[in-house]
Amino acid sequence: MCSACGYPAAPGHWTEAGAANMAERLRSRFRRSDILKHVLKPYGLNVHDGGLLPGIQISNQFGSQTIVRDLAEVWALVEQWTGTAVDPLNPKFTMPPAKAS
Amino acid sequence: MTVLGGFLGSGKTTWLRHQLHEGVFKGAFVIVNEAAETPVDDALLQGSSNLAVLAGGCACCVGKEDLIALLHKICDDRSKQTEHRLERIVLETSGLADPGPIVEAIRTDPILVHHIIVSETLVMVDALHALSQLRSEPLGRKQIEIADCMMVSKIDDANPDDLARLLATLHVVNPGAQIFGTVKGTEVPLPDFSQAEPEHLAEVLNEVDLPPIFPSKLALDETIDWTSFSVWLSALLHSRGNDIVRVKGVVRTPAGRLLVQTVRKVVQSPEILPEQESREDNTIVVIGRGYREEDLARSLKYFAGAS
Repeated sequence: MCSACGYPAAPGHWTEAGAANMAERLRSRFRRSDILKHVLKPYGLNVHDGGLLPGIQISNQFGSQTIVRDLAEVWALVEQWTGTAVDPLNPKFTMPPAKAS
Repeated sequence: MTVLGGFLGSGKTTWLRHQLHEGVFKGAFVIVNEAAETPVDDALLQGSSNLAVLAGGCACCVGKEDLIALLHKICDDRSKQTEHRLERIVLETSGLADPGPIVEAIRTDPILVHHIIVSETLVMVDALHALSQLRSEPLGRKQIEIADCMMVSKIDDANPDDLARLLATLHVVNPGAQIFGTVKGTEVPLPDFSQAEPEHLAEVLNEVDLPPIFPSKLALDETIDWTSFSVWLSALLHSRGNDIVRVKGVVRTPAGRLLVQTVRKVVQSPEILPEQESREDNTIVVIGRGYREEDLARSLKYFAGAS
């Protein structure tokens, strides 16, 4: 169990299967955090994963903050907090790339 | 011939793979039909010595001619053999296929009717999703109605009450068929369902007016890495898991070639496949409904560029 967050060690989530060693795992976590930051910004949410604590920290503009274990929990939490699920096929994510940036 | 049918993601390939490993269909010619143009299942069935993949069309409709042509060739080759003649063909249909028209096409073909006896139609039934498929998918129901034998897969993951209800419903929809339980291709005993109340389906099915399910191919170019793909796919399944019926494909990652398979919201633990060159790597097949095909690639691109 992690003494900082209280999570017991759990078998990895399927989304974490692409890394073979610690360095790749860490790189993947930073990249995941960057993507989530960008995607969740329009929903008024901030994401932090410094690589030290297990889990992904998410906070909203009202001061709520929580740590979730994996991406499945991220999407469930966002839906719970904002009342809508993040749908990648929503027009805001399907604009031609030039306009999306 | 053994026809193996069942809805998308019901466990057809898993079952067949296990049977081939156990030597059940020893020496059989295995035909795998996939609705999408990118074959994935053949990577899993390398244990079979005679394997043909019919990709790019469901054998009950657009791919029927290809199937008949292949069967003609198999029968032709068999006629030339003097010893060790081929005794069995196993046809794994696509998850979008109605086995009925396939069996009918073989029985009415003037050549095949003299060579091939369709001895059994086995239909895989997904213990987790079959009840909702029976309620809302006319195809799911047709597949079950035609079965000689139903194999209920993933029963270890199913809630016991839901499983009993499903079994009772299957027994009502197709009372003549035998029902077996399987877990990852191995037969396991089924619980007693004699007391369970079956679902009343008839009136529900008539009200369905859903857009058709279609397969799409999604190429992952060098800008899309595993992390962006998995963030995107996990969000997609969370929000649209009922419309994205099936996702499968092989993705190259630092950890190796990962086989990704999902059935609605359920994702299998990615399996690391042996290292080999394959043109189909980094191409994902998404089978679903209710979206525009081009939006898949656009939104994935957005996620990959988001940082």
